[in-house]
Amino acid sequence: MVVVTLQRKKCIGCNYCVELAPAFFQMARNDGKSVLLHSVEKKGFHTFKSADDASYTPCKEAQKACPVKIISTKLV
Amino acid sequence: MAPAGNFESLQAALDNGADSVYFGVEQLNMRARSNINFGLNDLQEVAERCRAKNVRTYLTLNTIIYDHDLSLVKTLLNAAKAAEITAVIAMDQAVIAYARQIGMEVHISTQINITNIETVKFYALFADTMVLSRELSLRQIQKITDRIEKENVRGPSGNLVEIEIFGHGALCMAVSGKCYLSLHAHNSSANRGACKQNCRKKYTVIDQDTGFEIALDNEYMMSPKDLCTLDFLDQVIAAGAKVLKIEGRGRAPEYVAKVIKTYREAIDAHYKGTYDQVKVAHWMEELKKVYNRGFWSGYYLGQKLGEWSNVDGSKATQKKVYLGKGQHYFPKAKIGEFKIEAYDLNIGDTVLITGPTTGAKEFVLTQMLVNDEKKEKATKNDSCTIPLDFRIRPSDKLYKIVKNP
Repeated sequence: MVVVTLQRKKCIGCNYCVELAPAFFQMARNDGKSVLLHSVEKKGFHTFKSADDASYTPCKEAQKACPVKIISTKLV
Repeated sequence: MAPAGNFESLQAALDNGADSVYFGVEQLNMRARSNINFGLNDLQEVAERCRAKNVRTYLTLNTIIYDHDLSLVKTLLNAAKAAEITAVIAMDQAVIAYARQIGMEVHISTQINITNIETVKFYALFADTMVLSRELSLRQIQKITDRIEKENVRGPSGNLVEIEIFGHGALCMAVSGKCYLSLHAHNSSANRGACKQNCRKKYTVIDQDTGFEIALDNEYMMSPKDLCTLDFLDQVIAAGAKVLKIEGRGRAPEYVAKVIKTYREAIDAHYKGTYDQVKVAHWMEELKKVYNRGFWSGYYLGQKLGEWSNVDGSKATQKKVYLGKGQHYFPKAKIGEFKIEAYDLNIGDTVLITGPTTGAKEFVLTQMLVNDEKKEKATKNDSCTIPLDFRIRPSDKLYKIVKNP
């Protein structure tokens, strides 16, 4: 399983994650920050769990590119 | 014009004589990281504190703007307008256009890199104040300000366009901060306020074929010294600049306090006719106490290019050491109580108290009680009370200022 988290509050809206993993991230219209699609929020951490291991690569790319290091991608 | 990265610095700017402050709200400004910005909910308080002191407020909204940012741009500008913020500092035409649409005063950011009078005339259609390119000489600046007067170049308010220039603080190697180094090395765009400051590091130059390393007299080959205009402030004023911007939204509140206080004194002295070299020497020593990479005159005096720093961080002659937290203030007796959590405090020490409402207050300790007894020294876990003519709060931190080796 792939677990992706996003600390949304710290996002500076650079759009890298959307460019690299458009199936998982989208920019929000209202506040210009990234949204991790289908995620659940708990204490500022937005978490998305995917049974499909193919989710790993694009999300990992987004993690590597994120300038404020608020994305984490793990294979569990 | 003072930087405010948080309420501590804002208060320090207000207490030390700033005429105006600039700050970011949320992410669309040149210091996008959230710990040196205000939130939308803070806007009202920022405006109120400044209004009480008759200090103008400028919202920085000067990054590159993408389509997904447009809604936030409108939200920020509407909120700023509602809070009666004086003006917005803008680069992107989308920001300029919307601000004009809702009747908000616009200032043109240095990011636009204005270097001539015709560009000033163009932006005068939208803006009353313009920050010129950091790379102009005072002679070039003077030419622009002269022609604004001669050709009667007025902004939307009907007043002559005012020219603002950088007065003090960090400069970078890129033209008007338009730099791609951080983006290419770390995906972290300076033009979106996320500069990683690669230019501040040491570098070597190696011939890949032979491994031969070129000897450099300074390995900080891209890190300029900090700009300081204090020692030729008379010339800066003569060049017609109306606003002197102090850089440093990422700096500590005591930095803001010290730099603003020093420039305030120098500017006031200039207008009183008491600006002289003895005072300048004293002021320069004061400025060296807080964060700096060594000083140079930037491009203003127009002689040579780039003076490079030879340190990684600061050359400040002083640093602060954390001692403890504020506990209570007794308003009738005018006494503040602190709990010492680290190090020790002695009579004769220079102490610094910082906090979101307190700002940054520095003074020499002349008397105190330690656990209700008169003593010369307080150490860890002691409770000490100090006579203070200003209120302190539990959110305040107590430091002492020591020499930086």
